[in-house]
Amino acid sequence: MRIGVCIKQVPDTDSHLRIADSGRGVDDSNLNWVISSCDLCALEEALLLAEAEVARGAERPELVVFSLGPARVEEALRKALALGVDRALHLVDEALQGGDAIADGRALAAALAGERCDLVLTGAQSDDLGQAATPAVIAAILSCPYAWLVMAVELDSRSKSLRIVRELEGGMNEVLGLELPALLAIQAGINRPRFASLRGTLQARKKPLRREDCSGLGVDPGLVGAAGAGIEIEAVSLPPAGAGGVVIDGASAEAAAGELIAHLEREAVL
Amino acid sequence: MPAVWLVEDTRGGPGTQEVRACGRALGGNCRVALLEEERLGPYAPGLYAEALHALIAQGDGEDPERPIVVLLPHTYQSAEYAPRLAVRLGAAYIASVSGASLDDDGGLRFRRSIFQARLRADVRPKKRTVVATVQVGAFGGAGPAPSPHDVFEVGRPADIEEHQEREILGREAASGGGVDLASAERIVTAGRGVGGPDEVSVAADLAAALDAELGASRPVVDNGWLPREHQVGSSGHIVTPNLYVALGVSGSIQHLMGMSGSRIIVAINKDPEAPIFSVAHYGIVADLHDVAPALTRLLKARRQSA
Ligand SMILES: Cc1cc2nc3c(=O)[nH]c(=O)nc-3n(C[C@H](O)[C@H](O)[C@H](O)COP(=O)(O)OP(=O)(O)OC[C@H]3O[C@@H](n4cnc5c(N)ncnc54)[C@H](O)[C@@H]3O)c2cc1C
Ligand SMILES: Nc1ncnc2c1ncn2[C@@H]1O[C@H](COP(=O)(O)O)[C@@H](O)[C@H]1O
Repeated sequence: MRIGVCIKQVPDTDSHLRIADSGRGVDDSNLNWVISSCDLCALEEALLLAEAEVARGAERPELVVFSLGPARVEEALRKALALGVDRALHLVDEALQGGDAIADGRALAAALAGERCDLVLTGAQSDDLGQAATPAVIAAILSCPYAWLVMAVELDSRSKSLRIVRELEGGMNEVLGLELPALLAIQAGINRPRFASLRGTLQARKKPLRREDCSGLGVDPGLVGAAGAGIEIEAVSLPPAGAGGVVIDGASAEAAAGELIAHLEREAVL
Repeated sequence: MPAVWLVEDTRGGPGTQEVRACGRALGGNCRVALLEEERLGPYAPGLYAEALHALIAQGDGEDPERPIVVLLPHTYQSAEYAPRLAVRLGAAYIASVSGASLDDDGGLRFRRSIFQARLRADVRPKKRTVVATVQVGAFGGAGPAPSPHDVFEVGRPADIEEHQEREILGREAASGGGVDLASAERIVTAGRGVGGPDEVSVAADLAAALDAELGASRPVVDNGWLPREHQVGSSGHIVTPNLYVALGVSGSIQHLMGMSGSRIIVAINKDPEAPIFSVAHYGIVADLHDVAPALTRLLKARRQSA
């Protein structure tokens, strides 16, 4: 049994975002890079599934983490190894840069197929591009059952099946049965991701981390990265500031609070 | 002008109006692909993607130069299978668009939020066929549907019978009740910016001083700082109070979907560029740990003197 987890490295949500001089993206020279929040939950879920298998006397599944991105991504992979994943695969190639969900999904699907994972976990949506599409693309290419926004997973490795809970709108969930191999896109809130221990961090240095480029993955460089993307970002901009809202000076907390109360009295909401 | 397919269901479910408005923005030359569960069978992502692919690929040969745009609502169901439809059609995929336009030279442009609505991107497709999901609540009010409506019923693909993708075992409520947010007159919401489980009291104290219910953004619930029944947003409560006070909430699309119908919205956030300010009637750029306690004090004093 092998479980693959796809993680994306993104700017910390608290980073100050500056539009790059090109106007087509974010200036990435001064950012703090972290694992996207849902992907941390996907990693945690893989670790919990492996622990549950061991607890019921079964063989521990092998956990493999995948990430596509430039050299900096290695830090995210090491962090996953420190959390308890067994080995890592880094999809790194100039030709893999600048892809969209379809181009990146194609490269990740090739890597996942090469490792023959029985179960693949991803995040539901990345914190940067938020396409909520990469896992669906991978599942389409691998032609396997897929569920998005997964809030609970029970694995039955004997019958090679899953019982999962998927989120619906308006506070409802649905319970689904799926056959392996399958791909699940994990929603934030499914679990509380653990922190890496010092021991884990030390062990991570010795765990295998493999790099693959396009030829290693067996993908056509014209079908991945910017060349393979179906879309191009032409311009990035800030959303328009408050549409007519009143801005209250926050320099003095007391004065701001008093001014707000006066406004709310006038609006008759107090 | 592109050939535009609007994917609709018989219930006229969420996002139908936005999808039609987006179709109108692209020239209004629209066909409707109508999904009916009675005909297709229970929803499964592969089934719905294959069925739509079969219908849309059929009309493909008409004019090989003419762009094709397929529009679906960005709901938890269609956003699950729309990327797969794009893969099957060899199309470009653009998720949760809030704007669309057609250049004079026929070029298509779409606008979508990135970085959790802190920035927006103008996107150009590089393929003849485009599948896009439309953000629910993003194309403004309802307008007249594009007409005339050419309605095509989506049929069940012949070869899909064997393909057991998922078995539906049941439905359940995501959380217990107990918090009456939907009918609350006033709500004070704690966002991730409150900082931690022990700091949620800043919001709770202000809520008490305002006789308000306590709301939460999703990360506050996901981190276990407040129970799920406090959550406001697309996967929580949709609320329309008289007064909504957001403390340390950035204003993601999913959060705005739950509260932008509130009568008076107040936002306190230290980031002047936080998207919550675009819907706030009153905004204070400051540390919430300074302003919220000051508000609580003044409101208490005001009540005592009344
Ligand atoms: C399918 C799906 C469904 C979702 N459903 C929901 C939903 O129902 N509800 C929901 O809320 N989210 C939902 N989300 C999550 C959503 O995308 C955002 O991640 C979330 O709304 C962000 O919450 P936040 O604003 O509290 O946190 P953040 O985005 O992290 O924002 C924190 C804010 O606090 C400010 N801040 C920090 N410290 C201070 C301080 N001391 N003083 C003042 N301001 C401060 C920061 O400037 C920042 O703007 C959903 C996501 C997905 C993918
Ligand atoms: N470059 C990448 N490397 C590894 N996984 C990725 C990458 N991009 C996206 N993913 C996975 O796909 C999920 C959804 O991303 P997105 O489609 O961009 O919203 C993420 O949470 C990751 O699990």
